[in-house]
Amino acid sequence: MGGMGPAASSGRKRSLDAEVNLVPFIDLLSMCICFLLMTAVWMELGSVNIKQTMGTEAPQENNRQSELSLKYVNAQTLELGLKQNGATKNYTVAGPTNELRLKQLHETIRSLAGVLSFNSTQDLKSQFSQSISSAHITTKAGVSYGELVSVMDVFRDEGILNLGLVPVKE
Amino acid sequence: MAQLGAQELAVGTFQKHLLSRKQKKAKLKRVMVAGLTLTSMVDMFSLLVIFLLQTFSTSPELMVTKGVTLPAAISARELEDSPVLALTTDEVYLDQKLVGKVSALLSDPSPLMGRLNDLREQWQRSHPSQKFTGIISLQADKDVPSTTVSMFLGVLPTATYSTVQLAVVSRGGS
Repeated sequence: MGGMGPAASSGRKRSLDAEVNLVPFIDLLSMCICFLLMTAVWMELGSVNIKQTMGTEAPQENNRQSELSLKYVNAQTLELGLKQNGATKNYTVAGPTNELRLKQLHETIRSLAGVLSFNSTQDLKSQFSQSISSAHITTKAGVSYGELVSVMDVFRDEGILNLGLVPVKE
Repeated sequence: MAQLGAQELAVGTFQKHLLSRKQKKAKLKRVMVAGLTLTSMVDMFSLLVIFLLQTFSTSPELMVTKGVTLPAAISARELEDSPVLALTTDEVYLDQKLVGKVSALLSDPSPLMGRLNDLREQWQRSHPSQKFTGIISLQADKDVPSTTVSMFLGVLPTATYSTVQLAVVSRGGS
């Protein structure tokens, strides 16, 4: 005579562990992996943008006064020129290795903050990007493209974004 | 007697054969019964998915031309999709197609100019209502002389490509 109460538990105890069907889950994961592997970008490419204004394009109008120029005197020596109100002041950057020259170039550009009478409380990069209209780089035979890009990288890192490369014959 | 001995020997080998068959069957059964541990596989799959999702990038993937080792830069921006001019130490490619030798194109850039103008006209035909952006990517080997690169960059504005994206490998900024 089955009654109410504990007698109901006379049957098999139902398990509390729910079983999850793993097959569709594994299918989904495999599909995800296939898609992501196929669309993966293994080498992260970026760009250093330069504006070439030597040809048909006219230089952009701007009200910023100062311009920078960087000229390779030889493969080990660079001359950084700051053109301000018609006058040009030159600074020499020299070193036996590219790393040393880049470090010195960083310091020289930062030292221009005093010449350009920047506000010391504000960010240097934003002040450079506001006050320097452009920087033109003149290369020299014996300088590799890798070194040239590293120099451009220094300018961009300091907030000078409008760069140009002067065509030079070998 | 000799015949009986031979018979006994034959029965013995047959029994051995039966025994080995039984053992083989037992082995097979064991293989059939063995379960597959899915937990570690699912763990591995999940980790792979997480890693691949973290490294997922929506920027357009540009093919780097064979023989070109790009320089590295900290301040790199995201590359925009554009025609790719590639300079190896001795050859020039436009969109993966050989244009000519570096020395020949430096003395006479007209084949390159022609191809660049074709590309521009093609773009303008496919985008009639838009203004030509004039963006081009330059993939040059880091050991190429910078003067060679500057000469090619001098040619580009005459074909109305005034903004040049120098392709670099991003190093991760400061």
